[in-house]
Amino acid sequence: MLNINKTKTNDAVLLSLEGRLDTVTAPLLENELKELLPGTSALTLDFGKLEYISSAGLRVLLSAHKAMAGHGSMELIGVNDTIMEIFEVTGFSEILNIR
Amino acid sequence: MKAEKEKRKGGILLQVATLFAIGVLATGLITFITQHVRSDANVKLQAEVRSAEIANEVGAAVREYPAYRWLLNYWYEHGEELEIEYDVDYGEGTLTEGKYQSFIGRNPGLQFKYLGKTAISALPEEDQKLYAEIAYTWLIARINQIKEIYHIDYLFCVLTEEPYDQQFFLFSGAEPGAVRGTNYEEIYPLGVVVSVSDSQREAMKSACEHDSHLANAGGYVDYYSFLCSVGEKKALIGLTYSLAGLTEDIDAQTWRGTAFAMVYQITLSLICLVVIYLVVLSPLGKVQKNIRLYKQTKDSEEIAKNLADVDPHNEIGQLSEDVVDLARELDQHIERIGTITAEKERIGAELQLAGRIQASMIPQVFPPFPDRHEFELYALMDPAKEVGGDFYDFFLIDDDHLCLVIADVSGKGIPGALFMMVSEVILRSCAMLGRGAAEILTKTNEGICSNNQAGMFVTVWVGILELSTGKLTAANAGHEYPALKRADGSFELLRDKHGLVIGAMPGVRYREYELQMEPGDKLFVYTDGVPEATAADNSMFGKERMLEALNEDPAASPEQLLGHVRRAVDGFVKEAEQFDDLTMLCVEYKGRKQE
Repeated sequence: MLNINKTKTNDAVLLSLEGRLDTVTAPLLENELKELLPGTSALTLDFGKLEYISSAGLRVLLSAHKAMAGHGSMELIGVNDTIMEIFEVTGFSEILNIR
Repeated sequence: MKAEKEKRKGGILLQVATLFAIGVLATGLITFITQHVRSDANVKLQAEVRSAEIANEVGAAVREYPAYRWLLNYWYEHGEELEIEYDVDYGEGTLTEGKYQSFIGRNPGLQFKYLGKTAISALPEEDQKLYAEIAYTWLIARINQIKEIYHIDYLFCVLTEEPYDQQFFLFSGAEPGAVRGTNYEEIYPLGVVVSVSDSQREAMKSACEHDSHLANAGGYVDYYSFLCSVGEKKALIGLTYSLAGLTEDIDAQTWRGTAFAMVYQITLSLICLVVIYLVVLSPLGKVQKNIRLYKQTKDSEEIAKNLADVDPHNEIGQLSEDVVDLARELDQHIERIGTITAEKERIGAELQLAGRIQASMIPQVFPPFPDRHEFELYALMDPAKEVGGDFYDFFLIDDDHLCLVIADVSGKGIPGALFMMVSEVILRSCAMLGRGAAEILTKTNEGICSNNQAGMFVTVWVGILELSTGKLTAANAGHEYPALKRADGSFELLRDKHGLVIGAMPGVRYREYELQMEPGDKLFVYTDGVPEATAADNSMFGKERMLEALNEDPAASPEQLLGHVRRAVDGFVKEAEQFDDLTMLCVEYKGRKQE
């Protein structure tokens, strides 16, 4: 189960994720990002209500990070301890912009 | 089921036939009722016509005597004085014939039949009496004939006057041999006076006012017809007869009509049934038979051939065509499903083979180095699908260095497995070149990043154990924390230095750390399939439970430890489907024995 809430202001996009970002739900976010990224220069992902992220979710974040690296910025907000630990274990905390 | 189907055969014909039978009965009933109602009206009309005819004939017989009014009056006034001979017809040798001879003898030249009132009045008293007696007898003869011809029960002429409560009988018709008198079943002679019932009074009054009156009750007709006035009084002809004959005739007609209507209806129904059978049921049965045939043979062309001669111009023809089309489509579907199933089986077989190849890539024989006593090692890999994305590996780089690897690819299934194979080959090659743990990861990352189209990555923990000293040099590329147990302690997570997962970014430099292992120390590494094993309610196994399982028995060997964790995970997820690969490796350092 994953709910994606989208708020768009000019070329800045805020995506609020709620639920689990795993093998089943990661393609939802991937498709959403595929549509959004070309016209977006500032992407913010709100992880405030995200309970869990699996390696499939990490893969989507990584490809988004790479895509944004060329023409804008991507940052994560509201990351809770559980997910922060996953980021730290996997080393993602070193490359992602987490506020 | 089959018996039930057989029983339903011919159901429509039976249903329609039942409806037709009900229709035939209804037609019969309606025809009978309408005919009967009409015949009742018929009877009344015919009775009226017949009664009027008879009354007219009687009236004509009376009016043959030009002086009939005089006669009626004379009979009334002198009834008791007259010597009347009844019911003798016009026969020879009768008293009346003698009277006539004597009347003619005394009054030669007189035309008896055509005597007018004036001529009679001029006759002497005695001849007037004779004339009245003779005319009476002759009239009775005539009335008797009429009665006989028409089968009338009672035929008579009476005088009455307001208020019509009495009848003076002038003359009555009788059968030959009937007795004249006033007793029961005797025919009234001249001069009998009777009081009448209310209904008869009304009937006579009505006849006087409207010329005639007919009453029809109990199968008998009572009819009065006005003849003429005689002074203050009115002469009425009365007749009574049974309708039995007439009713029988008409009843027979009613029955004949009803029977004809029913026969007509039955014939039509039979024709309809035959048409329904030929046009509907027979072809429908054929379609049904062929549907069943198709169920058995699955041969659409055979039923297409069988159904080719069903008339295509009606609904059943269309049904038949639809059935054939459906059968053909079904054939195609079955064929397609067969192909798909074969394809699936082929893929399944290939996957199984792929799984075996993958499994053969990692060491699976335990104990792996029976002649080495410095360490004891056990590992386990359980993919969620035929092929997995996890792997462990261990090998001796040289006589003194044991390399340990555990890794988890970000994808599962075939992509994960392919990525896993590539990662493992590169890792092992780098390790065999005698590099340090960090360098192995750095080189592997470069190798994978150089051509990572799918954007996949792999987490790797790699450790090199120096068997002579127990010094462990390890590096971690985004992998789960290892769990370490000192000889006299319990398992705890080792929060080691972490680098980014391999394959994410090129040019990452990994750092390694050192760890001194003493004899009896155990190191447990695993993939996230263990802590993230998920029960049906979405709760996760977690690292706490994992540590609990590891600490269950401080003296357990690596093989036993893996068994404990495995059982704990199974007990936790219960029936839920295993979603992630489950991979673990445990090594116990025993130290180099002084020999």
